[in-house]
Amino acid sequence: MWRAIEMSFHEVRPYLGDRWVGTANYGQVVTDEAFLEAIGHTLVLAVGQTGGSVVLGLVLALLLEGTARRLWIVRTAVFLPTVTAMAVVAEVWRILYHPAADGAVNTLLGWLGAGPSQFLNSPDSALWSVMAVGVWRGAPYDMMIFLAALAGVDRTLYEAAAADGAGVRRRVWHVTLPALRPAFVILFTLAAIRSLRVFTEIFLLTNGGPNGSTEVLMTLIYKLGLERNELGVAAAGSMVLLAASVALTLAVRLSGARGKEVAR
Amino acid sequence: MNRTDRTGRRAAPTVLAASLAAVLALGTLAGCGADDGSDNAGGDDKAPLEIWVRKPPGSPTEKTHQDLAAAFTKATGVEAKVTALFDDFETKLQQAAAQKDLPDLIVNDTAQLGTLVKQGLVREVGQSEVAGGDQLIPSSWEAARAADGKYYGVPFSAQTFALFVRKDWREKLGIAPPADWDQLDALATAFTTGDPDGNGKADTYGYVIPGTTKRGYMDWYFSSFLWSAGGEYFSGEGKSLKPAIDSPAAIAAARHLKDQFCADKSVVPGAVTAETTQAHPLFETGKGGIYLTGPYNMARFDKALGKDKYEVLPLPPGPGGKSAVLAEGENTYLMAGSKNPKGQLKYAEFLIGTEGQSAGMAGDTAGNVVRLPVNKSVKLSAVRQDARWQVFDEVYRESGRYSPVVKEWTPFRQASAEALNGMVADCGSDPGAVLGKLAASFAEELKKQGAGS
Repeated sequence: MWRAIEMSFHEVRPYLGDRWVGTANYGQVVTDEAFLEAIGHTLVLAVGQTGGSVVLGLVLALLLEGTARRLWIVRTAVFLPTVTAMAVVAEVWRILYHPAADGAVNTLLGWLGAGPSQFLNSPDSALWSVMAVGVWRGAPYDMMIFLAALAGVDRTLYEAAAADGAGVRRRVWHVTLPALRPAFVILFTLAAIRSLRVFTEIFLLTNGGPNGSTEVLMTLIYKLGLERNELGVAAAGSMVLLAASVALTLAVRLSGARGKEVAR
Repeated sequence: MNRTDRTGRRAAPTVLAASLAAVLALGTLAGCGADDGSDNAGGDDKAPLEIWVRKPPGSPTEKTHQDLAAAFTKATGVEAKVTALFDDFETKLQQAAAQKDLPDLIVNDTAQLGTLVKQGLVREVGQSEVAGGDQLIPSSWEAARAADGKYYGVPFSAQTFALFVRKDWREKLGIAPPADWDQLDALATAFTTGDPDGNGKADTYGYVIPGTTKRGYMDWYFSSFLWSAGGEYFSGEGKSLKPAIDSPAAIAAARHLKDQFCADKSVVPGAVTAETTQAHPLFETGKGGIYLTGPYNMARFDKALGKDKYEVLPLPPGPGGKSAVLAEGENTYLMAGSKNPKGQLKYAEFLIGTEGQSAGMAGDTAGNVVRLPVNKSVKLSAVRQDARWQVFDEVYRESGRYSPVVKEWTPFRQASAEALNGMVADCGSDPGAVLGKLAASFAEELKKQGAGS
């Protein structure tokens, strides 16, 4: 950790001796247009993937709750994307996203009279396409957390609500969702960090392209550190990322705590 | 991704720990402190040599390198161990550097020279101290010369690029081999629209292009076209280098590239995010019919596609009437901090000798690690019967051209790749403006490297 901080103030040259550059690395990070764009993309991805995964995960959890063997098999199948190696996921989605009319997803779009879309190959659609993969992969994980939380909901509350004449929608709103509050806190905290550190899917799917439209902080730090060998600037970037992670985590935790107090 | 947390209460410390770990990981990559960069001049002449080669583990090329090491050990008694690494070779090297545990030698791309020198990972090699160095093709030494005029490696293998063209498609459509860029583009368009595979579907394309920014592939591909169009990266020399990437000829070359993507639509879809590992299969599986690539792919394509299905043609001359094709290759780099500096040199000398070069060519097999020999006394035709190698040999000798000599080429290549990638990904872009912006970033980088005003 200390070394990372030290590096962020130096031009790093392991065999020649580091050169002190003061706060120049930080200056480059916070003023560099590429960094600012990357921060923007990271935030968009963070919000989109988190929101998408949580909503889809909740819907899946509500649909697949129960103890029947059939549901267990379906849940296992739905969970597969989460446990599949990202390299495999990326390669599969690259094939699905083939940007010609005979690509798998484009064929589906064609049946609906839309497309063909360029997906990963157009600056307009690349970020959304990556986000969709993230949601697809993250939702089943969120679903499992929700399922665990749903199992802990007191059944008598449902019965009481039903006895009071509440329909399905009102039961979900007044009984299920409040009971899931702890799960939401966990998921938002995890998702905030996960999203800030998003790297593998971008690296494998687009490497930040086309035209930098999917560049996120981690891919930029990787490029600077290991492709351009600007380890000092990369270290400064990671310190900024660390600060953002801590800030975001605290923000989520604080808002969670405040929510709890309000609930009390 | 952080997926270890199961309770809200524990999330914050774990999250913090995960974030710290990420930063620490980067810290580890960059090493634990400064060093004086000494080369351990005394050394132990019998200390075993560790050699890293940028080859896929388990490949025939790794086997050739192991055979070379065994032959060296037999001849000198010095033990030599070869490790093949392919993916993220440079990353692993950075990690080894950070741990102050570099291999004794690496055999890696010539384009890595500047980066290795800048970081002090390699030691200087006096041209005169290399026994047999005078037997090398003079231009091959250029690949080991850094911006300070000194040499930091010994050339080992040279290569250049040529067009791999689907011969069966071309003949089916009744088109002659292209003699200039217009004919080449016409061929690419015919491959895109003329259903050359005869399956009744519009599922074939002209050019296969690895257009991602990763490792600067897009620029790597473009450079031959830039030079052949009469464009340059820089004008001037040494400390007075100036960006020339926004010259009219360079803009014309960029526009030509963009037209292939946007006007003719003759490039295989997905090119702007494809790297070579994704591009090769597009040629092999009949998606695209024209691929500018290196001789190392012949063995692979012969196996996957069939030797009779494609031909190897030199890149036709550009609008300026000349052809200049990127020359690359591999150097043997003598790494800093070795316990056996004399052994390092001996190994490099062994590799450029007649025995090393001939064995490295590995006949017509897929195990070749010497693409084109750098030793002028070694005749390519004496080792290889396959006439296609002669095409590469001729291109290398007549129009081969190495990347510009600057302190560090990687930032330029990366910036150029990103600019070009952006240009072809956005069909509304203006090549003149894109290259103008690129020239400005070149000027900034030149200044940073102390090479421009």
